Amino acid sequence: MSCGNPHAVACVQIHLWMWIYLDNELEPESSHQVVHHLEECPPCAEVFTAERIIQTRIRQCRETVQTPEGLHTRIFTQIQQTISGE
Amino acid sequence: MAARVWAYVIATMNFVGLDPSAVGSCVMSTETKEDTAARFERDVTPFLHSLYGGALRMTRNPADAEDLVQEATLKAFAAFGSFTEGTNLKAWLFRILTNTYINQYRKKQRVPLQTSADELTDGQLNEVGESLGMRSAEAEAMAKLADGEIIDALAVLPEDFRMAVYLVDIEGFSYKEAAEIMDTPVGTVMSRLSRGRKQLRELLREYATERGFISQVVTS
Repeated sequence: MSCGNPHAVACVQIHLWMWIYLDNELEPESSHQVVHHLEECPPCAEVFTAERIIQTRIRQCRETVQTPEGLHTRIFTQIQQTISGE
Repeated sequence: MAARVWAYVIATMNFVGLDPSAVGSCVMSTETKEDTAARFERDVTPFLHSLYGGALRMTRNPADAEDLVQEATLKAFAAFGSFTEGTNLKAWLFRILTNTYINQYRKKQRVPLQTSADELTDGQLNEVGESLGMRSAEAEAMAKLADGEIIDALAVLPEDFRMAVYLVDIEGFSYKEAAEIMDTPVGTVMSRLSRGRKQLRELLREYATERGFISQVVTS
């Protein structure tokens, strides 16, 4: 996993931060350390690239869900009935 | 408004965790109920696709998903007077969807509550760190899987993990928003997400191996 070179922040820490960093939820200072680490550690950089590929692919699946035809009409017809039935 | 409807509105607001005293603000406004219904339809329509997708991830059954969206939307309409315009409507709707699911459908389906211990131990964290040695060629092989296969893999995950992955990875909610929707601390969302993602990747790796995508990579 490690390239064998010493880093300011250990590879294991970078891996623990990976998802938080990729989700844009890591605090700026730590994010900066991640960026710096990835520049000098090709094995970690490859793992991040791999994870980014999977994340992007999973997000694409959002579009495959088809909302059933008529769902919109059924919902808002029911709401109309609710207010007219008061 | 009839007393019966008032009781329903207040019960619903309590149900979704809102302050019933906020009902006063919708009475004070000059908006008619027809106007409110029109505004509700206009604002909620863009999120129906997401709500249905979320309901489908929860129930794993199209008929139940449709009923769940319909019921959650009705509850949302009853509580709409308390929604502050300009705040996150999508997260608010998902919170109601999740509560409706937990209170009604999970009981109906007799699905046992998740007994997962949410907090990660140090040992598990190390395990997570070590298991992430995914190579980019392997990821590209996994990315060749069809959308349906990826959705099927997601459906296999335990409920709490599935919802965390769904909310953050597919719907793009922040950790804080997902925590509000699932009514859990942010740390719990993060550990569910971490474990859910790890399991999902293991499944995708299995599927990709079965399909011959991974072995092609390994032998090349």
